[in-house]
Amino acid sequence: MRDAGPLDEMVDGAGQFRQHWRRILDPVFGLGSDELAERSRLLQQAFADEGFASVLPGARSVHWHCDPIPLPIAGGEFAALERGLIQRAELLELILRDVYGRQTLLAEGALPPALVYPNPNFQRPCRATVGPRAHDGPLMQAYAADLVRGPDGRWQVIGDLTEAPGGAAYALENRRMLSRIFPEVFRNQEIWQLSNFFEAWQDALQRAAGPVSNPGVALLTVGHADPAWFEHVLLARELSCALVEGRDLTVRGGQVYIKTLRGLQPVDVLLRRQEGAGIDPLEMESRGPVFGVPGLLDAARGGSIHIYNDPGSGWAESPALSAFLPDLAFRLLDEPLLLPSVLTLWLGQEGAREMVGGSLGHWLIRPALDGSSAPLDAAALSPAGNEKLAAEIAAHPWMFAASASVAPSVAPSVGESAIEPRRIVLRMFLVHDGKGWQVMRGGLARALAPEESLSGRLPRQAMSKDVWVLVDDTAAIVGPGQVFLPPLAIRRTPADMPARIAADFFWLGRYLERLESASRLIRMTITRLGRAAPMPRERAELHVLLACLVRAGLVHEERVGSASSAALADAMLRTTAEDGAIFRLLNNVGRLSEQLRDRMTNELYATVTTSLRGVFDGFRAAQVAEPSRGLEGLSQALGDVLRLAATIAGLSAENMVRVGGRLFLDLGRRLERAEAIPAELAAALAPQGAATQPGHIETGLRLALELRDSSITYRSRYCTVVQPAPALDLVLADDDNPRALAYQLAALRDLLTEVAGASTATTRSVSELLEEAQAMVTDVAQAEDQALAAAQLPPRLSAIRAKITGIGERIARQYFELLPVAHAVGLEPDRVGVRGAA
Amino acid sequence: MKLKVRHVTSYAYSSPVDLGGHIIHMQPRPLPHQEVLSSSLSAEPPPARRSEGVDHFGNPVTWLFLDRPHPTFEVVSEAVVDVSFPRPPLADSTPGWEEVAACSARGGRDAWQAAEFLFESPRVPLTPEAGRYAAPTFTPGRPILSCLLELTNRIRHEFRFRSGVTSLRTPITTVLERRQGVCQDFTHLMIAALRALGLPARYVSGYIRTKPPPGQTKRLGSDQSHAWVGAWMGPEHGWIDLDPTNDLVVREEHVVLAWGRDYSDISPLYGIILGGGRHSLHVGVDLDETGRS
Repeated sequence: MRDAGPLDEMVDGAGQFRQHWRRILDPVFGLGSDELAERSRLLQQAFADEGFASVLPGARSVHWHCDPIPLPIAGGEFAALERGLIQRAELLELILRDVYGRQTLLAEGALPPALVYPNPNFQRPCRATVGPRAHDGPLMQAYAADLVRGPDGRWQVIGDLTEAPGGAAYALENRRMLSRIFPEVFRNQEIWQLSNFFEAWQDALQRAAGPVSNPGVALLTVGHADPAWFEHVLLARELSCALVEGRDLTVRGGQVYIKTLRGLQPVDVLLRRQEGAGIDPLEMESRGPVFGVPGLLDAARGGSIHIYNDPGSGWAESPALSAFLPDLAFRLLDEPLLLPSVLTLWLGQEGAREMVGGSLGHWLIRPALDGSSAPLDAAALSPAGNEKLAAEIAAHPWMFAASASVAPSVAPSVGESAIEPRRIVLRMFLVHDGKGWQVMRGGLARALAPEESLSGRLPRQAMSKDVWVLVDDTAAIVGPGQVFLPPLAIRRTPADMPARIAADFFWLGRYLERLESASRLIRMTITRLGRAAPMPRERAELHVLLACLVRAGLVHEERVGSASSAALADAMLRTTAEDGAIFRLLNNVGRLSEQLRDRMTNELYATVTTSLRGVFDGFRAAQVAEPSRGLEGLSQALGDVLRLAATIAGLSAENMVRVGGRLFLDLGRRLERAEAIPAELAAALAPQGAATQPGHIETGLRLALELRDSSITYRSRYCTVVQPAPALDLVLADDDNPRALAYQLAALRDLLTEVAGASTATTRSVSELLEEAQAMVTDVAQAEDQALAAAQLPPRLSAIRAKITGIGERIARQYFELLPVAHAVGLEPDRVGVRGAA
Repeated sequence: MKLKVRHVTSYAYSSPVDLGGHIIHMQPRPLPHQEVLSSSLSAEPPPARRSEGVDHFGNPVTWLFLDRPHPTFEVVSEAVVDVSFPRPPLADSTPGWEEVAACSARGGRDAWQAAEFLFESPRVPLTPEAGRYAAPTFTPGRPILSCLLELTNRIRHEFRFRSGVTSLRTPITTVLERRQGVCQDFTHLMIAALRALGLPARYVSGYIRTKPPPGQTKRLGSDQSHAWVGAWMGPEHGWIDLDPTNDLVVREEHVVLAWGRDYSDISPLYGIILGGGRHSLHVGVDLDETGRS
């Protein structure tokens, strides 16, 4: 039902600024339009650096925009909203309890069966019982509602979020960033802080564990693939809980544990941020890929773990439930519903279809049971589309709900070029602290672009607003920044790192090193491609480089054919193209960095992602440049990669607070480098072409020094031509040269000792390899013909490389528990792989 | 009739299973006309954890969890039950089928619970073809039980019982086209047909006697888990169990384990294992009158 135009949040009917806006307008507009635009840019950049946007090309990218103009809510108005939201949360909790309990509402006809039984979010396993309920906590601990203000000035709910309401951490982040970048706007303002909401939440999680001395609290996420991944990172940080994925958890004897490097750490409370369906693949059929934990529901029924919100709680998001809330409020609370939903009809109800009638055009049509899908504006449909919808409704009316279309209020927002009014959807957050519901004194407002639809999940691209709840003059006297805090409980969470995180660091280290040595190799090749008619020595060098490129998987031998300049130039461009090996490595580095976001400081993370973005851009530019300029651009981009690797190595030493993380990063790096050195050296020393040319050993050694970035060291140390024994010493045996094999092996030995103690079989075999590396150099030094002795090394080098590969596999097996894939068995089993099980 | 049942399920894995969790619907459900005199469920190796409870549908359910490496796993369920399901009402005394459909759509006394079985479910998606197959039997105004008996009889005679030609993933439409399958297929087909007509229908899992009554042929679907259909006849007459595989009204030859919307709700034994490589499965069911060998 469309009627009057939208209400303006800032200006009243008489064209006057509303009272509660006046304090905002001056400081914001006082900046001037240029300064405002520049600050806006800084603000968006700050969000991107923090990790809101993915660095991966084509990946889920969340472009988070926060409008510099906040949305103020007057204290009195907030108090009314607060009462309404608390009542609504209480009502939904009671309804959920009944639906998953005695089902009196169904038996008495207050809820139609068609709202419950066909709903995929009605989780039957959550109704199973084992004796009396082990605990009687609430099913919902967090609740949020999406509201719009209609032309009549009343706030109405357009969506209830009961499953895993998202956005609270974004609201906090908006506030933090805004106050950092627009400090003058916050000066002398009396607004409520958001932190006490998170304190209450954190306390509620801790208290839910019961009288346990060090409760384990974990936030369960699908992980990096979830569009809300970064919010999970922020929330876990804010609530001091471990951030885990299903594959980090296991259930033994009815108790849930995190698999850490030091063994199993119990979890008492799980903050669920993945959908309830499929959370336990033993009892639930998932609608998508399975990320669940078998036995989780049994553990919850046994009372050893509390899952919030309950895996069945998503059912209450059904849009059609809104149609029944006014009656249910009277029935269950004996009160009228204080905060109404936007007028909603369930078309399965007699009379509702008649009300909607043939004029679908005045209504927004929504799936009755699925709150996550956006409503369909019947007025915007083609006549054929309208007819089809009407036919679907006639066939299965219970599947649809109709909502009145409301024109939301508008508020000023900083648009592309000017300040423009945008429609406002306000999300408000509640948390149950064990005694009652608390409402966040703030919220997350979305300022909709003209083409954006009103509801559904938080979109990936949106402009948001900080929401200010003003401290009323009549309220208790509080200065800015002052909050009332309950005494803090002492909290500790399992600090031990999940084995998967260690594995991620290990692989990040390996990929970084692989990337670095690949870049050096390609750069060395490129610098030798300029000449039209290369000298024999240069041809020999290109042969060696080609062998190294093939070994590193950067070039397919058969696709290059010859070591000619043209063929190699083409191969270098191909390997750095978007589908080439270098992009794959960069993608892996980006993915792992994002996955490890919560283990990195903001500075480290921003440095890594900013550099990565630049590198991606550099490679793309090189691809489209002129052929001659292309190689130069490539060379520059590769230089950036080398700098990126060096920066991460340096910064991780300074910024990685978690001891375990850096240890495994180093372990991966050292191992990768230790594997590469003997392989490169074997390729460099092997005879090139049909006949061994005199001096090929010298050529090979010079390249080996350059590949290990040790030419300068050699020159400064020996000031003379390259000779086998000193060169080999620098590449293999010198444990002071950070590029030498011996250095890597010594570092590996020390790292492994730190992880597992000195006398393990693995550390012993590393020590043996160290001796072998030194023996090889001694053998060459003592030989009569050093060049000949060096030419005989490749088999020994291959053997040492194979042993290092073996050590890498042993480390992975020992620490990262590469468990076999879980699968289903039954009387007629469906062989489905289950990710992350047990 | 007192019946004794023994149901043995054994897995042999090609390499030991490290962790296993199993959800089990294998103990008879106590019912007004099915008294469970004794019931036991045991497993080898003994599980590290065992939970017993009642599922959403009211069926007994057991969860077993193993956390030591084991190369084999065996579950044995033994029970003695006394079954005597009542004689069905006279078909002509039951309401017209359209009236039952209208009543279940309307809700109200008992109908609200029956309504759960009106909607599509994981293994029984909406199948208009099944409705069209049943339509000739459901003539206007015909008493519901008369329709149900005829449909049961038609499935028995128009489909061939053949094991090995279908799996749990075989769509109902394929069963309809090929006119062959096993008890699960016929049960899912009949459920789909009834739901397509707006009638509540549920999946009943259980057993049928190994040895038939004197003078009758061996029943189809014995020696293993069996399945049949529960159909609703309105609030006055309630549910009736019909076995389309054998064209029988369930009376004294069947033992009820559990019911649900379809097989996926009440699979007798379903598990998630970690490790184990390939596995082989052996199932044996023995059901007979007590005191007879």
